[in-house]
Amino acid sequence: MDISRRQLAGIILASTAVAQAPPKPQPESDIETARLQQRAAAQIIARVPLPMTTEPAFQFKA
Amino acid sequence: MATIAPDIFFASISELNAKLRAKEFSCHELTQAFCDRIERIGPRYNALALSLRKQALSKAKDVDRELKRDRTRGPLQGIPYGVKDLLAVKKLPTTWGAKPYAAQVFDYDAHVVERLNAVGAILIAKLSMVELAGGGDYRTAAASLTGPGLNPWDRTRWSGGSSSGPGAAVAAGLVTFAIGSETSGSILTPAAFCGVTGLRPTYGLVSRSGAMALSWTLDKLGPMCRSAEDCALVLHEIAGVDTQDSGSAGRSFNYRPQDTMRRLAEITIGYMPVDFQDGAEPAAQPALKAAFDVIKSLGVTVKEIQIPEFPYGALVSTIIAGEAGSIFEDLIRSGKVDELADPHQIAGLKAMLDLPATEYLRAMRVRSLVKAAFHDLFLNCDMVLAPARLGPAPKAAEPLDAPGPPTRSRGGLIPGGNLAGLPAISLPCGFAEGLPVAISLLGRPFYENQLIAIGNLFQKQTDWHRRRPPVEA
Repeated sequence: MDISRRQLAGIILASTAVAQAPPKPQPESDIETARLQQRAAAQIIARVPLPMTTEPAFQFKA
Repeated sequence: MATIAPDIFFASISELNAKLRAKEFSCHELTQAFCDRIERIGPRYNALALSLRKQALSKAKDVDRELKRDRTRGPLQGIPYGVKDLLAVKKLPTTWGAKPYAAQVFDYDAHVVERLNAVGAILIAKLSMVELAGGGDYRTAAASLTGPGLNPWDRTRWSGGSSSGPGAAVAAGLVTFAIGSETSGSILTPAAFCGVTGLRPTYGLVSRSGAMALSWTLDKLGPMCRSAEDCALVLHEIAGVDTQDSGSAGRSFNYRPQDTMRRLAEITIGYMPVDFQDGAEPAAQPALKAAFDVIKSLGVTVKEIQIPEFPYGALVSTIIAGEAGSIFEDLIRSGKVDELADPHQIAGLKAMLDLPATEYLRAMRVRSLVKAAFHDLFLNCDMVLAPARLGPAPKAAEPLDAPGPPTRSRGGLIPGGNLAGLPAISLPCGFAEGLPVAISLLGRPFYENQLIAIGNLFQKQTDWHRRRPPVEA
């Protein structure tokens, strides 16, 4: 190992301490903005002519 | 103890390997010098996520024993390199650049790390990255556990992302090469902004096993080096079949510099005239025009083309939203997503859970049309030349979506090429306001040898790839 167990434990404890400090809640308006951007992207994509027979660009194989 | 001259930090893979085999210095001495350098200078650019000095020096001693017995493993033997911190290295933190994963440890090496270990390359560092490879639509360079990636050419500028650390570390001579990743632009962008050569391979050519997934159908790993030839040498070792990667293309890559090229006049390179006239940012236009003239002077046939028209940005963002939203669902629902650094990234990831399946599937169906359109494009040309980015690196302290100088180029090759799974190479081609500018070549699937061959020829005619940023000792 490149770092000691003590050093690794220190990293984990530091992250736990940081995690225990509650992060600021995300304003709902920011999330709504992101949703609207997603919606806008979908509307742009919906304008592309798409033959019904076009399959998604991935394949399942048994 | 041999003195490692400053030029060594900027030497090519072949040059370094030859010096090791000639015993100008030992692998241990070389590794120690690179470790000293990256630990001292890496933090200036927030490029270093974790130094791997102890294990690197141990590996270097093994290589020295092999070289003493003339047991050679190829050109990467003894060469110091770094990996973007989304690649697992056994029993050491792999943070994905993100606070929620700061203490994450895997008990295995990523497949590419295993391959590079097997040929004697020396992993000296985990390199910084944008948190979670930026899939939630980050807006600031500070979207990283290690702080904003800073550009070795000007530390007020961004190094690019999401492979920020690899771009800066190669440019500043902190590693000889690095492994980055690209979902949509994350190798080509930092390569362009930092003035290094980056190669994004065909989807599936390099195993993703052991790498953080952002988007299963878009993620690729690739080399970031100081030259096209170095990219070829690294790709030769990291490419190949891996049954652990469901996206593995089942093909390998053999670098064949001698027999790759047909007569140059038979090679057709397509381009959009606006890209090399006044389409890019004004400061970048002279370098791009000059690079176009160099490409023409190689003897290839150049031809005006039109890139297929699709809403590439919307397609990429929707596909990433569907796949990353699933990959990081637990992170988002647990609330730990709020620990990320960039508020837009947090909001973007949360919104992903509301994406209807029909929207993702429609994007994937249109993607089939994109693939077909690029296939048809490559019936009329062998590769496409374009600016890698339309201007130099933006300021690190400003929002990344702040309006810049006006451009007329449509862009689209980065998202379009990624959607179609195509390979591309970014080649430094000059400077704009003291910052690197680059061109890119996009090829058809598994056309890496041909892209590298043109890159080699371009780099024989120019020396942009040999320029060094003002890194103090």
